[in-house]
Amino acid sequence: MKFGPREAIALTATTPDGKSELGDRLRSSADGVEGSSRAGWALIAATAREEWPGIAFGMLAGLLYTAGRVAVPLLIQLGLDRGVNDGEPLLPWSLAIVGAGLFSACFLGLRRYLAFRNARIIEARLRDRIFAHVQRLHFSFHDANATGELMSRGNTDLQHFQNFVTLVPLAFGNVLIVVMVTIIMLVLHPLLAVLALASLPFVNVLGRMFAQELNPAIMRVQQEAAELATVVEETVSGVRVVKGFGAEPVQASKLAAEAGDVHDAALVSSAIRARYLPAMELLPSIGLITVLGYGGHLVLDGELTIGELVSFNIYVLMLIQPLRMLGMIVANGQRASAAGVRIAEVLDTAPAIIDVGSPTALPDTGELGRVEFRDVDFGYHPAATGAGVLRALSLTIEPGESVALVGATGSGKSTVARLLPRFYEVDGGAIMIDGVDVREVGRRELRKAVSIVFEETFLFSSSIRDNIAFADPEVDLATVVRAAELAGADAFIRELPDGYDTEIGERGFSLSGGQRQRIAIARAILADPRVLVLDDATSAVDPAKEHEIRDALGEVMERRTTIVIAHRPATIALADRVVFLDEGQIIAEGTHDVLLATNARYREVLAADRDVADEGPV
Amino acid sequence: MGWSMAHGTTDEARLGFAGTGAVLRRTFGYGRAYRGGAVSAVGLLVLWTLTLLAGPLLVRRAIDEGIAKGDGSQLNASIAMYVVVALASYLSFRFAILQLAKVGEAFLRDMRTRVFDKLLQQSMAFYDREKAGVLVSRMTSDVDSLQELIQFGLVMFTSAALLLVGTTMLLFFLSWKLMLLCLVAMPVVTIASVKFQRDSNRAYLLVRDRIADTLSSLQEGLSGVRVVQAFAREHIESARFAEANRDLYRTHMAAVRIQCWYLPIVEFAGAATTAVALGVGGWMVSEGEMTVGTIVAFILLLSSLFEPVQQLSQLFNMVQSAAASLNKLFSLLDEPILVTDRPSAIAVHGRAPIVIEGVGFSYGGGEPVLSNVNLEIGVGERVAFVGPTGAGKSTLAKLIARFYDPSVGSICLGDIDLRDISVRSLRTEIVVVPQEGYLFSGSIAENIRVARPDASDDEVREALDRIGVLGKFEALPTGLETQVQERGNRLSAGEKQLVSLARAALADPSVLILDEATSSVDPGTEAMVESAMETLMQGRTVIAIAHRLSTSQRCDRIAVVAEGRVVELGSHGELVAAGGHYADLYTAWVSGLGGRF
Repeated sequence: MKFGPREAIALTATTPDGKSELGDRLRSSADGVEGSSRAGWALIAATAREEWPGIAFGMLAGLLYTAGRVAVPLLIQLGLDRGVNDGEPLLPWSLAIVGAGLFSACFLGLRRYLAFRNARIIEARLRDRIFAHVQRLHFSFHDANATGELMSRGNTDLQHFQNFVTLVPLAFGNVLIVVMVTIIMLVLHPLLAVLALASLPFVNVLGRMFAQELNPAIMRVQQEAAELATVVEETVSGVRVVKGFGAEPVQASKLAAEAGDVHDAALVSSAIRARYLPAMELLPSIGLITVLGYGGHLVLDGELTIGELVSFNIYVLMLIQPLRMLGMIVANGQRASAAGVRIAEVLDTAPAIIDVGSPTALPDTGELGRVEFRDVDFGYHPAATGAGVLRALSLTIEPGESVALVGATGSGKSTVARLLPRFYEVDGGAIMIDGVDVREVGRRELRKAVSIVFEETFLFSSSIRDNIAFADPEVDLATVVRAAELAGADAFIRELPDGYDTEIGERGFSLSGGQRQRIAIARAILADPRVLVLDDATSAVDPAKEHEIRDALGEVMERRTTIVIAHRPATIALADRVVFLDEGQIIAEGTHDVLLATNARYREVLAADRDVADEGPV
Repeated sequence: MGWSMAHGTTDEARLGFAGTGAVLRRTFGYGRAYRGGAVSAVGLLVLWTLTLLAGPLLVRRAIDEGIAKGDGSQLNASIAMYVVVALASYLSFRFAILQLAKVGEAFLRDMRTRVFDKLLQQSMAFYDREKAGVLVSRMTSDVDSLQELIQFGLVMFTSAALLLVGTTMLLFFLSWKLMLLCLVAMPVVTIASVKFQRDSNRAYLLVRDRIADTLSSLQEGLSGVRVVQAFAREHIESARFAEANRDLYRTHMAAVRIQCWYLPIVEFAGAATTAVALGVGGWMVSEGEMTVGTIVAFILLLSSLFEPVQQLSQLFNMVQSAAASLNKLFSLLDEPILVTDRPSAIAVHGRAPIVIEGVGFSYGGGEPVLSNVNLEIGVGERVAFVGPTGAGKSTLAKLIARFYDPSVGSICLGDIDLRDISVRSLRTEIVVVPQEGYLFSGSIAENIRVARPDASDDEVREALDRIGVLGKFEALPTGLETQVQERGNRLSAGEKQLVSLARAALADPSVLILDEATSSVDPGTEAMVESAMETLMQGRTVIAIAHRLSTSQRCDRIAVVAEGRVVELGSHGELVAAGGHYADLYTAWVSGLGGRF
């Protein structure tokens, strides 16, 4: 989806206010969005209320600007009639025009500044709120909402919102112009005014129809362009395959087809422009011709002065822009309210995992790190009946003990790991750490006590040092290095261009999957939790190097309760005890050797996971 | 994305006058095919501009010939003319838009296919050198900026320029004395416009950067939310984001401020010149030097003097960034192609030995990666290349596939030099199976068909069956028609490998180059990959870039590549007995220090 450039021009190049023609002449940023909804307007109203002084000043500036602008044609008229025709002095009128011009110019700048300032403040504030709110929302919310979806809330939707808020004071000024000009014309000559203005409302109507028709067409162009981009992207990243099989002609014809589609879609949108834009230009001409024709005869009959004829002409021209823009603001408002609904949806989602009123502190003396699952039932989709992921699972892990959770895919072993730090709420039963129900513990404290290393490693775009020190940014380098050593990461970090200060992530150095996992382990170790959970945390580590981590982990695991989810027998063997899960229940417990010897299903699950035979010593 | 991406051209990207001229000439060169269309589009725009200028002149005629002289028929004649002009204006504008779109979009479509075809012709050396992201952005953001110009800017830009010139000429014609007076304001407006264009360009480049920053903070905060929560760092991350967000706000406001001083200047210039026209013009009327109609026409035309200036300064950035994009596209089209067919290239068929003689190679004239490599690989023989990373074993394999040409020496298939064989036919004889299976969007069947676009469904199934994995893919809910990019259908690394092997099976080459994966794929499918690979190797000449001794052990001969040379050559048994590099690796393996090279 590429709204970007179009919107941008609406900001860079144009000014949604009266002066600049091109703002909406060739592109209308209006969006055909059906169904405005109350939640959206409510959010618009609420945010506008927060900024009311700015908005009020913006409107006042708009009023003064309009007054100055509307005065100019009147002054021209008086100058022409009294000065040029009647031979009175002209200078006062000229000076008055300069004065009115200066006045309106000053307030033009001020109005514009205030309009954008308000809108940008509201935008920034809402974006902060969305971000902070989403950060607090529970895992299941994030499971259900793709990152891309949420991005567009804090991004496209906010942009629509901001556009509308900018337009409000500008639109107010435009309404004023329409009202004042209409009044002046009616006072000057009612019948001529009616005739001159008759065609103008259609400008507004056409503007709206244009926006509604153009928008889907533009979306289609963007859609087709995105499809074309996919072909390019795939061909470039898969160039080895394309070249390897000599598949160039296939890709070339794919692209030619896509380019043809973009071409066709673009022509459709041009045809819409060609249909509406000239018509929207023609309508005011009808007004001008009427003014000249009927008005001219009125002048001949002595009922109208030449000056009045000219000011009518100028006033008709002056109305075109505001009318077009008012057509736009309706569509923009609809779009903003739809965006508002989507933003409100996120902001109104209450965090499901919250602290109880007065949290219980975890004990901090004695043997720490006792974990107990009591008859835990859990399913990711509470609504779905039947098969829960965990069913009446009970498990006790003693302080300092290390337990390996083994099971086939879908057996629930990762779920056990995710319930412990209370990323999800159990459906039944309870989970206790050192005798305290995790629901009674403050989240901060709980998550300090339990560190989990996810299978899918996420590292932030910052230095390696910052990544490892994530839990405690203030910590000194020696501690960071120590954590990296324990995770078997120190050696390769030192070989990187800037060692611990190497920037990683999107724009930085790219690490291998195994290296990333080791940094994630170091990050968890640095947090110094009483319970450490490793969820398949060494899966991407080269087996040849895994033994290094294994030795280091042995040391880490000795001192704290550890839950390891793993496939490789060597890693499983590190644990004091193996808990074998199947379909959400514990079906066997014991040491790895004993289970291997006595449990056929255990052997089966491990065999399916086992690395290829002659992979070197275990 | 939905951000307001401003138009801006960085100083480096901005073209000088000479550069702009070159781009223009080049565009006209390419545009030859569309010349007729382009000329008529411009013709229509000129006509439209003339109709816009005619309006105030007709008002003047109505006042001077009709109203001032009390002649109603002259007034009516002017009105009739006005009606004709309005209709002409409607029609010319309408067809100008259509014609310009027709020409512009056709140009763009051809530009897209031309650039892409050029990309496809490039050798692997080109792809090693250029970042994939940059190449993709040529075909996306650069072409898009042209598309945008054609869709939104070109009509306005051209007509604003025409209108400015036309209005200026007309005003001089109406009264050169008055026009000279009004031109006093022009330098101010021009300087302000130039400064505005520069400042706003700079401001929006900054905005663009800040937007990108905020966007990536947002992205990171969202994709990393689980880690943030796991370490209870929500408040810190929110505070950090707020900071980035504040920066964005500030740059936005800096950009707004630039508009806030510029627009009032243009507005005021309009009012001031109107005052001059009225005051001085009125005096000229009383002196009998000018008619009332002329003053009126003058005042009406003044508005189309400053508006175009303002429009031009605002559209200039769009035009400039499109020109910069076009320039980048042209330079892509100018890239020479390194690996091409010689005019005398012939097609090859059937099995032949591979003879490598005195081959040396360096990437882009740098350090030699290979030097004086000699090796002959017999028909149906399996040879493993082993050696440390960077020793040149992958490069040697790529030379055999003719992804590159050797710097010295020659590689022959039978007795024909690879460079004398048409690339097309070589690709059907020698197929490379890369380390990681790459999937295109589309179905599994379509992905396999990449190897032979004309293959029937049955042939695709047969290829899968031959390597023993037909059942695995058919077991999927939608079988071979499963769309690989859709959510929930993602194939594992091992399954991707299987697709990759199936492609090779469908291509059915006589020589197979296997680049073995360094890391293990998902344990569930690895055994299947192994057996598929074994089947695929049957009856073909195989070159395996081996990372595991288990693979090299299965080959007839092993070539140990170190520092760009083949340092050992022989069977597994012979090399272990010889006690060289390979024997060391073998010892390390059996003593259990690691299974890979």
